[in-house]
Amino acid sequence: MLMPRKVKHRKVQRGRLSGQAKGGTTVAFGDYGIQALEPGWVTARQIEAARIAMTRHVRRGGKVWIRVYPDKPVTQKPAETRMGSGKGNPEFWVAVVKPGRILFELGGVDEALGRSAMERAIQKLPIKARFVTRSVQEEVHV
Amino acid sequence: MAELTLVAEPGRAIGSAPSRRLRATGRVPGVVYGHGADPVAVSVDGRDLRIALSGGTGVNQLLSLEVAGERHLALARVLQRDPVRNSVVHVDFQVVSRDEIVSAEVPIVVVGEAKAVEQERGVIEHVLSSLTVRARPGSIPDAVHVDVSGLVIGDTVRVGGLPLPPGVTTDVDPEEAVVVAAGSSATAELGGEAGMAPEAEVPAGDGTSAAEG
Repeated sequence: MLMPRKVKHRKVQRGRLSGQAKGGTTVAFGDYGIQALEPGWVTARQIEAARIAMTRHVRRGGKVWIRVYPDKPVTQKPAETRMGSGKGNPEFWVAVVKPGRILFELGGVDEALGRSAMERAIQKLPIKARFVTRSVQEEVHV
Repeated sequence: MAELTLVAEPGRAIGSAPSRRLRATGRVPGVVYGHGADPVAVSVDGRDLRIALSGGTGVNQLLSLEVAGERHLALARVLQRDPVRNSVVHVDFQVVSRDEIVSAEVPIVVVGEAKAVEQERGVIEHVLSSLTVRARPGSIPDAVHVDVSGLVIGDTVRVGGLPLPPGVTTDVDPEEAVVVAAGSSATAELGGEAGMAPEAEVPAGDGTSAAEG
């Protein structure tokens, strides 16, 4: 699973999830992408599950890009512990995702296969997301 | 290339709230600049803008922009988009003249089928999807076509080998790869258990990386 090798601070505050993504909102590497439609935390485990779902469906050919990185540690207190005694232990890593963010990209396969692979990957994610293509993103509409 | 006429109304109110109200009426806020003139805040009809920039030339369409009765030759340079709806929220128009050299982003289109690569179960990697070219506004090509039918595994089409029309040049490094016929290394393999992601690439410098100290 993806996780940072070394971090400056082991525990961080939760933060807010307001607004939309400022960058990483266009398909830049492949032909198709998965775009987040709502804010949320995507865990390293979910990213890995989505990647596996996609690559297993594509079977041969194709290349996957992961456009988000789980660099935020999430802490949890052990079960049945009294409150207090400081912040819990880091348990897993999440990527902070805001609406518009491209989470994965896929290239080198035809659109029908790419769409079905990415729809399987979307099922593994905790947020609403949609399949987008580079050509649709370049269309001009108001 | 024939230019399309687009009417731009000057004198729109500046700011996010007036711009939002303007968009609600179906208009798109924009700005006209270039040739040393002061920038003018304008608005254009959304439907007309869509029609003008949805032709074969795409956003590189040469426009005859009518601003307060004056006609300017212009190109749409920057289209700001809503990250979720992907709608155009602001457009920059740059005034150009017919004989000046301008730069434009042109899509690279792959044509043909690389049968030799497919037989070897390789993949055609489309590394560069657009090319920045320098040309006169009227001779910006719609797209640059790359024929991949003759490629075999290990071949690479580089920027220097792209067929550019006469009068069109590029400043991009000629050694930069456009299309690579790769072996099966990039194929999505089965059994990618949790832990390793050999075939998935995390783009360097993309998005958030760990704060290292």
